[in-house]
Amino acid sequence: MSKLQEVAAAVEKGKSKIVAGLVEEALAEGSSAVEILNSMIDAMSVVGEKFQRNEIFVPEMLVAARAMKKGVEPLKPLLADAGAPKAGKVIIGTVAGDLHDIGKNLVAMMIESAGFEVIDLGVDVPAEKFVEAVENDPEVNIVAVSALLTTTMPSMKTVVEALNASPARSRFKIMVGGAPITQEFCDEIGADYYTTDAASAAQKAKEIA
Amino acid sequence: MIIIGEKMNGSIPSVAKAIAERNEKRIRSLAKKQTEAGADYLDVCASVEEDVEVETLKWMLDIVQDVSDVPICLDSPSPRTLVKAIPLVKKPGLINSVSLEGDKIDVIFPVIADTKWNCVALLCDDKGIPNSVERRMEVFEGIMAKAKEYGIAPERLFIDPLVVTLSTDETALTTFADCCRRIKEAYPTIHITSGLSNISFGLPARKLINQAFMVLAMNAGMDSAIVDPTNRDMLGMIYAADCLLERDEFCLEFIGAFREGRIGPEQPKE
Repeated sequence: MSKLQEVAAAVEKGKSKIVAGLVEEALAEGSSAVEILNSMIDAMSVVGEKFQRNEIFVPEMLVAARAMKKGVEPLKPLLADAGAPKAGKVIIGTVAGDLHDIGKNLVAMMIESAGFEVIDLGVDVPAEKFVEAVENDPEVNIVAVSALLTTTMPSMKTVVEALNASPARSRFKIMVGGAPITQEFCDEIGADYYTTDAASAAQKAKEIA
Repeated sequence: MIIIGEKMNGSIPSVAKAIAERNEKRIRSLAKKQTEAGADYLDVCASVEEDVEVETLKWMLDIVQDVSDVPICLDSPSPRTLVKAIPLVKKPGLINSVSLEGDKIDVIFPVIADTKWNCVALLCDDKGIPNSVERRMEVFEGIMAKAKEYGIAPERLFIDPLVVTLSTDETALTTFADCCRRIKEAYPTIHITSGLSNISFGLPARKLINQAFMVLAMNAGMDSAIVDPTNRDMLGMIYAADCLLERDEFCLEFIGAFREGRIGPEQPKE
C-alpha cells in the first residue's frame, strides 16, 4: 500500500491518532500537500457512499471526519503557501424558529471534509443574517439552509426568497435539506438543490461548486 | 464491560453430565461458542467432590485451552484446589474466588501476589452475606487490608458485592448499588463483578429482572459480569448501557458488535 493509500485508509477507518503521522510520512516521501488532501477527500467520499448505502452509521462518519481534520492540520500551512484552490466556500445554518443542529452539523462536517471552507451560522438564523453573510463575503458560492420541522418550513421559504432577491444571487447556489423537506418543496420555494442526507449534500456541493 | 463466560460450570446439570461422561465435544463447543461471542474470560468450574476436583479441572482446562486463547477464570469454592490448579493454566487469568470466609484469602493471596493473576473477592465472611451496606463495606475494608498486606493492586481485584434474591428482599439491588458506588469512590481502578441468576429467583419473566439489574448495576459502577455471552439480549443490553454511560466512545464497540452479528435482531443466514 502506498503512503497516500495508507492516509486514505486511516481516514476511512477514523484512526485519528495515526493520520497526522502518516501525512507527515507522505510529505517526507515526496507527495504534495494537494495530493494528500485529495486522497483524504476521496476517502471521505467513500465514507459518504457507505453511509448512503447504510453500510456504516453516523458515529463512524463522525470519526472519519475527525480523523480527516487531524490529517489536514499539518497540511494547512503548506496549502496556504501553495495558494491551493479550495473547493469553495459554504454558508450553512438552520432557519429562524428552529433549534435543530444535528443534521445541519453533519452536513457542515461532510461538506468541510469534501474540501470546502464552511461558515456555520448556527441555529435559529433569521433570513437577513443569511443574506448579510453571503453579501459580505464574495468568496461564498453555496448557501445551505436547514429546517427540521414542518412548522419552520415557511421560515425556509422566507430565507430563500430573501436570498433570491439579493443582487449577489448569480454567484451562489442555494441548497436545502431537513427531515420534512422534499424536492417539490425545494422547487416550489425557488431553491436550487435538495439532498436527502449529509453524504449526498457533500457530493452535490462538489458537483455544483 | 469485562464479560466472564459462565457456561462451563459443573453446577449446570447438562454440563455436570458432560463432565461425568468426559464428553470432550460438549466442553469444546462451550469454549468455542463463548469465545466467538466475545467473552473476556472463560469460567471453568468442575463442581465435583474435592478429592477429584483438580483432575477434573485439568481435563476441562486441557480441552478449553486447546480451542481458545481467552484467559481462564478458575472457579472453585476450595482455595486448595485453586492453588493446585493454577499451574495447569497456560497464562495468568482470574481466580474465582476469595472472601473473608475461613482461610481462603490467606491461602490464595500469597500464591498470586507476585504473579499477573487477578482475583474475584466476595463481600462475605464466616457469618455469611452481610445484610447492610455498612457491614458489607466492613468486609470490603478487610479484603483491601489483606490486598495491601500482600501487595496486590486494586486493579487486580474484581469485587463481587453479592446480590441477594429480590423476591425475598426488596433492597437487593439498592444495597448492591450502594456498595458499588462506595467501592468505586474509594478505589476508582478496582473492578466490580457479579453473577445474575440470584437476583430474579422466584419471579416470573426472570430475563427482564436480570436485564434491568444489569443496567442499574452498571450505572452504579459495575464493570464486569459473570454471564452467558451467547445470550444476545443480555449482551445487547450491556453494549447499549456502555454507550449510554459514556464508556464506549462514538458507540463504536456497540456498532462493531452489531456488525459482527453478536447483538441486535438475528440477521437471516445467507
